[in-house]
Formats: sequence, structure tokens, C-alpha cells
Amino acid sequence: MQALRRMQQSFLGHLLGRPSDAVDYIQSTPEASAAQRLGIYASGYRLRLKEALETDYERLHAYLGDDLFDQLMDAYIDRFPSHATSLRDYSRHMDVLLRETLPFSGIPVLRELERIERAFNHSFDAADAAPLDPACLESLPPEAWPGMRLELHASLSVLDCAFNSFPIWRALSRDEVPPEVAHEPSTWVVWRKDLVSLYRSLPPDEADALAVARDGGDFSALCEALLAHHAEQEVPVQAVTLLRTWIDEQMVVGLA
Amino acid sequence: MTRPFLGFGLGLRTDHYDYVETHRPDVDWFEILSENYMVPGGKPLAHLDRIRADYPMVMHGVSLSIGSTDPLNTDYLAALKALAERVEPEWISDHLCWTSVDHTNSHDLLPLPYNEATIAHIAARIRQVQDLLGRRILIENLSSYVTYHESEMSEWEFLDEIARRADCLILLDINNIFVSAHNHHFDPMDYIEGVSVERVMQFHLAGHSYSGQMIIDTHDHPICDPVWALYEKALRRFGAVSTMIERDDNIPAFPELRAELAIAERIAADTLAPEQLETRAGRMRGVA
Repeated sequence: MQALRRMQQSFLGHLLGRPSDAVDYIQSTPEASAAQRLGIYASGYRLRLKEALETDYERLHAYLGDDLFDQLMDAYIDRFPSHATSLRDYSRHMDVLLRETLPFSGIPVLRELERIERAFNHSFDAADAAPLDPACLESLPPEAWPGMRLELHASLSVLDCAFNSFPIWRALSRDEVPPEVAHEPSTWVVWRKDLVSLYRSLPPDEADALAVARDGGDFSALCEALLAHHAEQEVPVQAVTLLRTWIDEQMVVGLA
Repeated sequence: MTRPFLGFGLGLRTDHYDYVETHRPDVDWFEILSENYMVPGGKPLAHLDRIRADYPMVMHGVSLSIGSTDPLNTDYLAALKALAERVEPEWISDHLCWTSVDHTNSHDLLPLPYNEATIAHIAARIRQVQDLLGRRILIENLSSYVTYHESEMSEWEFLDEIARRADCLILLDINNIFVSAHNHHFDPMDYIEGVSVERVMQFHLAGHSYSGQMIIDTHDHPICDPVWALYEKALRRFGAVSTMIERDDNIPAFPELRAELAIAERIAADTLAPEQLETRAGRMRGVA
């Protein structure tokens, strides 16, 4: 199979724009040369990858405009040949490109917009799990509470932003002119409820508590995080209120 | 004829989920693109389960890369098998092509040189896939734009010999025969007549586009008259074969595609005897 393998490597090299003798394997005809025939595949390759990137980063595209987004896609395709089986996984290195490639690396809000879109894409088809029945809390014995850990829905992402990236994302989603970039530290959660992706901002106490839960901390660690925001005697009530909110919003799928 | 006949189907597309779930249109079956449902959860699988409850389905993949010289992708095959356990499809198909080498994916259906070495390589791999899936698969002919110097036979001889050696079945794409016949100057009837009748389990129909002197398989237009004419000839040779329309771009409203499928039903009704068109569900198709 060495001959077939060499041909395939040469053909793929041609698609990737690398030096290749692919043309030597192909017959020319009066209406189309070997190079023209190969060119159909080469242009199709880039078009398909661009379609995948456009699908995954609709808002980033809207923010950058057609020309700059096209420049971004070309840079991405040149740097990252696809090692993914499915096109839905092709864009997974976009954060690397935005961090390391000018002019995009000089615009830090792009990295936050990218994370937001990735979080929504992830929430769309993350694993299903039945939401936790709120009645579970009632049957939990008092001694089980301190060591209780939450199993959060696989679709859930917590995003820390330094800029007003969510308001920019929201405006782009509504085809509105986005606000100017501003420093606006905030934390957001993206998750799926009843098959619909949702998002909301988290106040500082809830952001810290949810981060503890997401990182596998138990209920006593969650309460400890709330001590930075509330008087000691208020913490248990605050913690249970947050827990009930997350359960109502279908962010929690189990207790461990 | 022992071949199961599902009748006339369409490719299930996200644009049509709501219509199909709301109206339960009169379509015999749907073909799904397997990779679209190889996801952990969420809407795609929810729609799939709801629609599957009401319609027979077949699974059609694009990532098997059966002609690659890389080892078979066992992760992909495990995911395919898991999806098949969920969908319980009538059958599973993919393309007679290669898509990747050195674990780098072109995400395209790339043609192969038609020679003995390639036949032996692919037939063995199809047998491996069939063993792993525990069922026979269908392989589909491509549209192609290149001919290799190393090809030693016609595409239909290549396809038929692989199917014979692998003991697999064939998904015959009528539009792809038309497109490749134009691009490579052969008579499409030679292709139709060169494929073994008993191995053909499904037909694909689709539209295409012209690019200069070449025809490109774009699936973005209605089916053209010469392809309908070829479909009629294929029915005469192969008898009642489960038929579906693929539309992947410029996708019209569902009723428009359903109307296009009615053309296929009419041609079949005019070409074949009514008893040939009895589906396994016991319905006579294409008869007013």
C-alpha cells in the first residue's frame, strides 16, 4: 500500500498548500488540466473549513467584519490542518490563534468573545442528564450536608470576563451595533435548560460559590467561599438559597 | 427479489426538524448524516429520537475513510456503532473514498485509483468494519474530478469488485454517475449496466452545478432532467430500490422537497409494476 499512501500524502499536501507532486498522479484532458482538476479539491478544502469556522464563530465574524474574519480564517487554516474526525471539532484551537497571531492578539476582547461562543457551542450538544429533583434536598440527613458535592450539568461553563464582552456578544446576537469595549470585570454562567442555551451574570458571591462547586468542592467549602461576602450567621441561608436557585435552573444533575 | 424496499425518503436536515415534527409529512423514511448525531446530547439527539419514533431511518456517514492508508479509526467506529444501537437503522452507508491520511482530515470525499492493490486494501477494510458493526454496510460511488494514471479499470468495475470481495452492499448515487460520466467522458449506461443488481440497496438523487467544463456535485439545486432519465433507466435495471433525495445547500422549504420526491415516485410508478413498489410497510408507493 506504499504507492497508495504516497499518493494520498501528496494529494493532501496539495490541499494544504505544501510543495507536492500531486499533479503527476492525475491525468489532464483537453477541457481541464491535472492542476485545474486538483484545484477543484483545493478550493473545496478551504471553503469547507471556512464554513465550519463561520458556523462556530458567527458573533466573532460579525464583530470583526468580513475582511478581517476572512484573514482570521486564512491564518487559522494555514496554521491548523484538521486532525478532527468531525468538522464540529475543527475550530478548537481558535483561542491559540487569537492569543498568538497579530493583529488579533492585540485585541484581547476577541479572546473573551471566542470563549463565549465556544461556551454556547458546547452547551448546545453537551451530554444530557436529568435535572436534580428539588425534593432530594429535603431527604438529605443533616450530617450529609457538609461533605455534599454537586454534580453540575455538563453544558455549564463559568466565564470570567475583564471586558464588557457579554454586552458586546448580546448586541451582535441581535444585529445591533455593539458598545465600545470597556473594562468591566464580571462573571457569567452559560448552560442548557430544557434544550435551550441560557446565560446570566453572576454576582461576586454566587460566582465564587459556583466556582467552588464546579471545581468539586463540598458544601462546607462553598460556605467558606461565601464568608468573604456575608456575615457568618447569614452564610448557611445564602448557601441554601443559591443551591435552590441552581437546582431550579437545572444546573445541578446530582449530589455526591 | 429479496431486497427490502423502504420506498421514497429524504435526507433529514436541521432546517426541517420543526416541520417534520409538527406535520408528520407523508415520507416513507429519512436518511440521517451519522456525524451530525455523534454528539454527547442536546437538541440534535432530542430531534433525532422524536423523528425516529415515527419514521424508519438509514444512517449515512462521511468519515469512515475506508480507502485511507491510515489504520481504521476505531474511536469513530465505536461512536458509529453506539449511534446505530440508538437509531436501529435499516442500514448504514458511507463512501468509496478516502478522506484523511497521517491523521489529517480533508473533510472531503477523495477518489481512489482503480486498481487491484486498492481493491484488495479496501475489501479487507470493509470486512473489518462489517465484523465490528456486526452487519453489512453499503458503499456509495462518488462524484469525482480527477482520474489517476494508476487506474487500471473503470469505476464501476472497481466498485462492483470491491462489493463482491467484501460481500458488502451498494448505495448507487445516480447523480454522481451522471456527474462523473460528464467529467470523465464515459457513458453513464455503461456504469448502470456494470453494477451487480443484487448488491444495490439504495439510490441517491441530487442536484449539481456547472463550473466551467466540469460538473460539481453541490447538492444545492433541484434534480435535472438527464438525472431523472438516468434514474428511470436504473429502475429498469435494478427494480424497486429505496430512493432518496439529498439536499445540503440552498435548502428549500420541506413541501418543495416533498414535491421533488413525488417526481421520483411518479417515475417509479410509470416504470415498475405496482407489486414491485410495495414497501415493507405494506403501502403502494407512487400510485395515485
